[in-house]
Amino acid sequence: MNHVFNMTNEQQLKLQAFLDGELPEREAREILAWTQRDSAAAGLLAELKNTRQAMVNSKPHLNVPESREFYWSKIQNKIQRLEPEAAAAPGVSIFAALRRWLLPAVAVGALAIAGLIAHFNVPKAAVETVADADTPTVETTLANSDATTYRDASEGTTLVWFSYAADETPTQNKKPTAIN
Amino acid sequence: MSGQNYSSTDDAALVKAARRGDMGAFEELVFRHRDPIYARAFSMTRNEEDAVDLSQEAWIKGWQRLGQFQGDSSFTTWMTRIVINLCLDHLRKQKRQRADSIEAMDEESGGVERQMPVVAVNPTAGLERAELRKKIDGALDQLSAEHRTVLVLHEFEDMEYKEIAKTVGCSMGTVMSRLFYARRKMAALLAELKNEENR
Repeated sequence: MNHVFNMTNEQQLKLQAFLDGELPEREAREILAWTQRDSAAAGLLAELKNTRQAMVNSKPHLNVPESREFYWSKIQNKIQRLEPEAAAAPGVSIFAALRRWLLPAVAVGALAIAGLIAHFNVPKAAVETVADADTPTVETTLANSDATTYRDASEGTTLVWFSYAADETPTQNKKPTAIN
Repeated sequence: MSGQNYSSTDDAALVKAARRGDMGAFEELVFRHRDPIYARAFSMTRNEEDAVDLSQEAWIKGWQRLGQFQGDSSFTTWMTRIVINLCLDHLRKQKRQRADSIEAMDEESGGVERQMPVVAVNPTAGLERAELRKKIDGALDQLSAEHRTVLVLHEFEDMEYKEIAKTVGCSMGTVMSRLFYARRKMAALLAELKNEENR
């Protein structure tokens, strides 16, 4: 038996890398030359090669120790538990596919119609003016109401005109009232 | 496509159908490739029950990730990578559960493999394939999970050092050391088995 005690770890690993074709060409040539003049290196290389060959030749060809049906049923059950919708065969259920696309489309359509109806039914006088905080605004807060508001945020002033006197019922005449 | 006979359909078409949700097509893929996927799980775990569970888990993951299969490699290769990763996770969990790791002791002991005498005569020469497999199986059982994994990935999966390092999550140096130890240990175990027979 050859002994490899006097080889360094690096030398041994290089020998193995040579066997596995993992060395660059120049290093591979050096290792080859080494194995040709050193019997211990040649012996170790032969042992590694035999073991590798034995492994490759004994690549296992094992069969699953369960019947096809039983093996598959466990996989299928788990898939169906994890993704009940995705696991449903789409070829069988055309209605399911239609439902998947039709329902969101109907929902979007209904929302659009509701939006249009709401847009055209909004009382025009509900908000007459929208402006930023620094610009004075005049607004009639409610349709057909008898009050008009002047608001100036920079001055901190709000004036409200009523179209009737404070002690009268609503008329055509407007009287400004300062609120601040 | 459900209820269809897929025996003459190729893998690529089955994958395409399975991606659309066709479980029948996926069942055919499982039927075709279940044995090599199970064999890989068994060679890594050395436990029949674990191998069945892990291979089934791999198929479930395969179904969930079908959209990621690009077809660059064969479907079996793609599935094998999935089962290998699951086995590695499983082995890591097992290792965490063991307080004292024999493998760690082996690696920390400072290169026991360097001290082993070279096996000059090929202990597997002239063996029938079935007999050889039996012997290799026996020797693989005696290797630690770490060493066995590297050996299996290199010899059975034809992976290069770099690829093994990436798969296992260690350095290339560790891969080389583990592979070297595993091979030397295998040689010694095979020689021992041969000697026992000759006695």
